Amino acid sequence: MTENKSFPELRRKLNPGWWTANRHYVQYMVREWTSLFVALFSLVYIYGLSLWVTGSRSAFLNLLKNPATIAFSFIALVFTLYHAVTWFYLLGQVVPIKIGKTTSKPWQALVANLILMLIVSYLVIWLLVLR
Amino acid sequence: MDTATIRVTRYRPEKGPEPFFQEYKVPYRNDMVVLDALNYIKANLDGTLTYRWSCRMGVCGSCGASVDGTPKLTCASFLHEFKGRTITIDPLPNFPVVKDLVVNMEDFMEKLVRIKPWIIREKETPPEQGEYKQSAEELERYQQFSSCINCMLCYSACPIYGLNEKFLGPAATALAYRYIEDSRDQGRNVRFPIVHEMEGVWECTLVGECSVVCPKGVDPMLAIQKTKILGATNAIRSILMPRGGR
Repeated sequence: MTENKSFPELRRKLNPGWWTANRHYVQYMVREWTSLFVALFSLVYIYGLSLWVTGSRSAFLNLLKNPATIAFSFIALVFTLYHAVTWFYLLGQVVPIKIGKTTSKPWQALVANLILMLIVSYLVIWLLVLR
Repeated sequence: MDTATIRVTRYRPEKGPEPFFQEYKVPYRNDMVVLDALNYIKANLDGTLTYRWSCRMGVCGSCGASVDGTPKLTCASFLHEFKGRTITIDPLPNFPVVKDLVVNMEDFMEKLVRIKPWIIREKETPPEQGEYKQSAEELERYQQFSSCINCMLCYSACPIYGLNEKFLGPAATALAYRYIEDSRDQGRNVRFPIVHEMEGVWECTLVGECSVVCPKGVDPMLAIQKTKILGATNAIRSILMPRGGR
């Protein structure tokens, strides 16, 4: 009889830089990190609105006019659009719509949702500003 | 004949606790795959090299390894695709290594059983009453998810599983969804608590690499998201509708 001796298994930990290993992981990480800018923009905006409702409207307008706010808003817009585009595409992957025998493609969901987003954005602007 | 340089990560616990690399030169023809190279090494160069394999044709799911950093079936990775480069072969990531390229599969096996991969009926009808019939459309709803060969490549590609091994993971959820969507199955109430527990489907953050590496064209990422949608609509229905919408 041979001796039944067990050896330790090798446990490997995921390296903190795992997401640099391939293109898909990097895309995933960028998609997740861009959400941070969505949140930051919301915080800036909520702060601005709080100025508005407490009566210091000029402070709110000054905040909006501040070059730093404008620069940040531009960066946040780019990242938010990237975040939206990637999620709209994923939406098409996860919930494809079946009409008859054809199933919708992810890019179709992306286009449809972008159009919907433009319509809703226009409606909001119309309701608040143009009307 | 060309020669391929194969760099294998070796782990021989009886010799020492640290893994190490070993390089082999393997002559190959255009129709040879990485598994053929491993077999050549075992037969001609180094009999101590340990790895799993069986069918050699992408059916059994035993020969998975990380080939050049990507989880692949070694029987489906051609050597000529790596021409002029050293091919690095590591044991499947995210699993404990037993020896060389052999990993411990126990966690995965336990998860497969946990989701109860069989048809559950509230009441079995006797065989004389015939089979449980299913239309082509009903079959189509789950068919791709039944193609899984349990090769575990999806778990190796999943960083969520790499960070938290309690995560139910891609293949087990795909199999759960396969039964949840099967028109003959009546076990939703049994499986839902399993797939919707804290470390079930909700742990998934849509990295999507599981579906990229699957050698059988299964889309576990889709199965996980569909399971989330089913769970969420079920929860809303149970709140809004009388008697839980049943």
